[in-house]
Amino acid sequence: MNKRLVVHLLGSILLIEACCMLPSFVLALLYGDGDALALLYPMLLLLALGLPARFLTSPRDSNLRAREGFLVVALAWVLLSGFGALPFVFSGLIPNYIDAFFESVSGFTTTGATVLSEFDGLARGVMFWRSFTHWIGGMGVLVLTLALLPQLSGRASHLMRAESPGPSLSKIVPKLGDSAKILYLICLALTLMEFLLLILAGLSPYDAAIHAMGTAGTGGFSNYLDSVGAFQSPAVDAIITVFMVIFGINFAVFYRALTGGVRDALRSEELRWYLAIVGGAMLVMSFIILPRYGNFLTALRYGSFQVATISSTTGYATADFTLWPVAAKMLIVVLMFVGSCAGSTAGGIKIVRVAILCKLGRRSIRHTFQPRKVQVVRFEGKGIEEGMLSQIATFFFVYISLVFAGAFAISCEGLYDVETNFTAALSCISNVGPGLGAAGPVENYAGYGPFAKLVLSLLMLSGRLELFPILTLFTPAVWRRA
Amino acid sequence: MRILVVGDGKLGHTLAEHLAKEGHDVVIVDRSDEVLQRSEDTLDVMCVKGNGANATTLMDAGADKADIIIAATAGDETNMLCCLIAKRLGAKYAIARIRDPDFNESLNILQRELDIDMAINPERATAQEISRLIRFPFANNIESFAKGRVEMVEFRAQERDVVVGYPLKVLARKLQGLPQVLYAAVEREGRVLIPNGDFVIHAGDRVHVAADMVTITAYFRFLGKNSLRVKNVMLLGGGRISYYLARMIAPMGVHVHMIEINGQKANMLSESLPDVNVIHGDGTDQELLEQEGLKQMDAFVALCDRDEENLMAGLFAVAQGVPKVIVKNNRVAYADIINAMGLDSIISPKSITCANILRYVRARANGMGTKVEKLYRLMDGKAEALEFIARASDPYIGIPLRDLSVRPGTLVAVIVRHGKVIVPFGNDHIESGDSVVIIACQSGIGDLNEVIKR
Repeated sequence: MNKRLVVHLLGSILLIEACCMLPSFVLALLYGDGDALALLYPMLLLLALGLPARFLTSPRDSNLRAREGFLVVALAWVLLSGFGALPFVFSGLIPNYIDAFFESVSGFTTTGATVLSEFDGLARGVMFWRSFTHWIGGMGVLVLTLALLPQLSGRASHLMRAESPGPSLSKIVPKLGDSAKILYLICLALTLMEFLLLILAGLSPYDAAIHAMGTAGTGGFSNYLDSVGAFQSPAVDAIITVFMVIFGINFAVFYRALTGGVRDALRSEELRWYLAIVGGAMLVMSFIILPRYGNFLTALRYGSFQVATISSTTGYATADFTLWPVAAKMLIVVLMFVGSCAGSTAGGIKIVRVAILCKLGRRSIRHTFQPRKVQVVRFEGKGIEEGMLSQIATFFFVYISLVFAGAFAISCEGLYDVETNFTAALSCISNVGPGLGAAGPVENYAGYGPFAKLVLSLLMLSGRLELFPILTLFTPAVWRRA
Repeated sequence: MRILVVGDGKLGHTLAEHLAKEGHDVVIVDRSDEVLQRSEDTLDVMCVKGNGANATTLMDAGADKADIIIAATAGDETNMLCCLIAKRLGAKYAIARIRDPDFNESLNILQRELDIDMAINPERATAQEISRLIRFPFANNIESFAKGRVEMVEFRAQERDVVVGYPLKVLARKLQGLPQVLYAAVEREGRVLIPNGDFVIHAGDRVHVAADMVTITAYFRFLGKNSLRVKNVMLLGGGRISYYLARMIAPMGVHVHMIEINGQKANMLSESLPDVNVIHGDGTDQELLEQEGLKQMDAFVALCDRDEENLMAGLFAVAQGVPKVIVKNNRVAYADIINAMGLDSIISPKSITCANILRYVRARANGMGTKVEKLYRLMDGKAEALEFIARASDPYIGIPLRDLSVRPGTLVAVIVRHGKVIVPFGNDHIESGDSVVIIACQSGIGDLNEVIKR
């Protein structure tokens, strides 16, 4: 293992994190809530560690192999969350470090699961940082690093592959650095659009920024106890619903729409599956909850918001769906598994994999009664290799296993019931946020003990990095020198 | 520039590597997932799977927006079709590898009709390179600059050479009549040094000198290295390179002896090359080589398919005292090791083809961004030679070089003014419109102003 290179890269990433804290620090100074120092100290600490790591280690061999690539990504995310938790501790918002770490992981992985049970409207700088982690975590911190430090991009495809969601790395332009820049520009443009629309709908600029960043990263942190429901505004609900669906779409589709026209972008098979699943679920959900709300339009407003928030793995809420009929809750669990498109800021198993697994299932059924039929699984008009198929099937298996293992681990603390613990584990690995039962949208995760919080943090990181980078951290062979 | 490389073989991968490093947007097309995976892992390029002669695949790879398409698949026909289709789709320039000698005869027609801007035949290009080395046997390597007006020649300094052991600035005083050449760069133990006046050449150094061809020839005559003229050449292996090479050097009055192991092929070669002495036999057999008069040869060129055989045969020829031994070796990474074994002239068809194509691409990229007129990679990329045109507005115009500061690790090698080559000394100055060649250890120089300051 090339330790010097790993340290060098991690140093760069810590410096980037220090820069990312700057906007929150400036806001804290402007608002004067007394939390500026809580942001300043972590920044200085990051600089103190990052500068020597970045500039005193000159890697003799700058060749980034797959082993180091995955390691750098996994370690970077752990470090980012670790240092990102400090402002919460220093400001006294979350005095316990493990709680703060959970909150920070939840922010960077765009989960949105919180331990905060009351919001007093103070510490606005730190609260901005909490939501800002969604925004940079959604697109990826290493993608940001690549966009800002193009000299890394020579052999950095391992980095981007480990961080970008989806079964395969699809660059949108030949150069990695340019791809990263385009992705961030698209994300920035959409975020600004949502920010302006929310202001037009009557939100204060601060609330609009918090919720626009939460939507863009498909995170779900809000500065209100009732989440988006606190605004009681159909316009705000509609805007956020639409943007949650948008941020669940593969960003390459937006690039295609910009360069080749909307008609060309609509040809994407993954997009069609996604829109069909989300649209179908919205209608079904609205009918299930119709008796509760009496009026179809109201049912559609709450039904579609909840479907969008779960399938885009955001986790905002305008209604307490733990009180909904059991069919609605079951639908929510199914949507938690599926998630959104690859190459978006969302989590879950991802539409591509689900679609390919469906086709694989159909092929196996067909194979039992027509064994000699040659069947190629196609997606986006291209045949999928057998190697890729088994990789997807493996991913699915490991995903399910981790959900069960995590649910079992947190149950060992002896708290809550099967429904709560199972959906909490699922919700964390899919980066959604709220679960069912005692982990529902009006509740929070503060009730869990420190062990469960660490397990859930690990699940969130595994889900965000698509399982394998985090699992490599626990593989001894990676750490051996070779 | 946006460059499409079709065919991800040895050449395609190397080209993509260099082009991506130089900052171009590179898209690779190939039919095999395996090789694409390797390129995607190691290079900053985009990969598209599919047949390069398929219009849909080419469109996926962005052929309509491509500035240059380079077709380097295994098949000549595929390469030609690929260029033809890409050009029709909107690619600006097309480069095709066409290696079959049968196509070579009608290459001009093919190139015109298929709208191919550059056709490269690796074997022919290699043969050309070897023929230059045979014509100037004192050189290990030759590069030409400034439209061929300046040659840079590499030779290995030996104990008895008169230039060894004195600082360069006293050489001209000590040795009356030594033609004035520029000592452009010296390779010592794998490192590249840019010499200044106090530099002392050691025996075993690989010295690169630059001047026009007449001066260079005179210089080597003074050193006593130009006494040998190659009259007898032995070629090992009767492949395409040997065929082209024999056709090039036989008319110059060189006696060619060609050894080919395959009897049928030897017959065919004898039929098509009446001037050549074709021998049927195993070229790695030392007895045969001795019998055929290896000791009397002025030059020996090993061109078998296998690098190892070439190496062994080459070492044997050196041991037998053949003055000029040239060896084909496709594994560039081993070049330093082979040099250490005493074989100086190593020829790699892949590198030559790659260099030729890169030169063309750089010429096309000219005027887009940097002010470099031409860029040459020297000594396996350890140093670069850059050609600039001086402009009237530049601050160093008209000032003697002695009064200017030149960045360390760089050297003003040659000035070409009105077609005349000047090897500059302290009293010389640069005029507007001159083309100036700079030798630099580091890469990434984009402007002459970065190198020369007042």
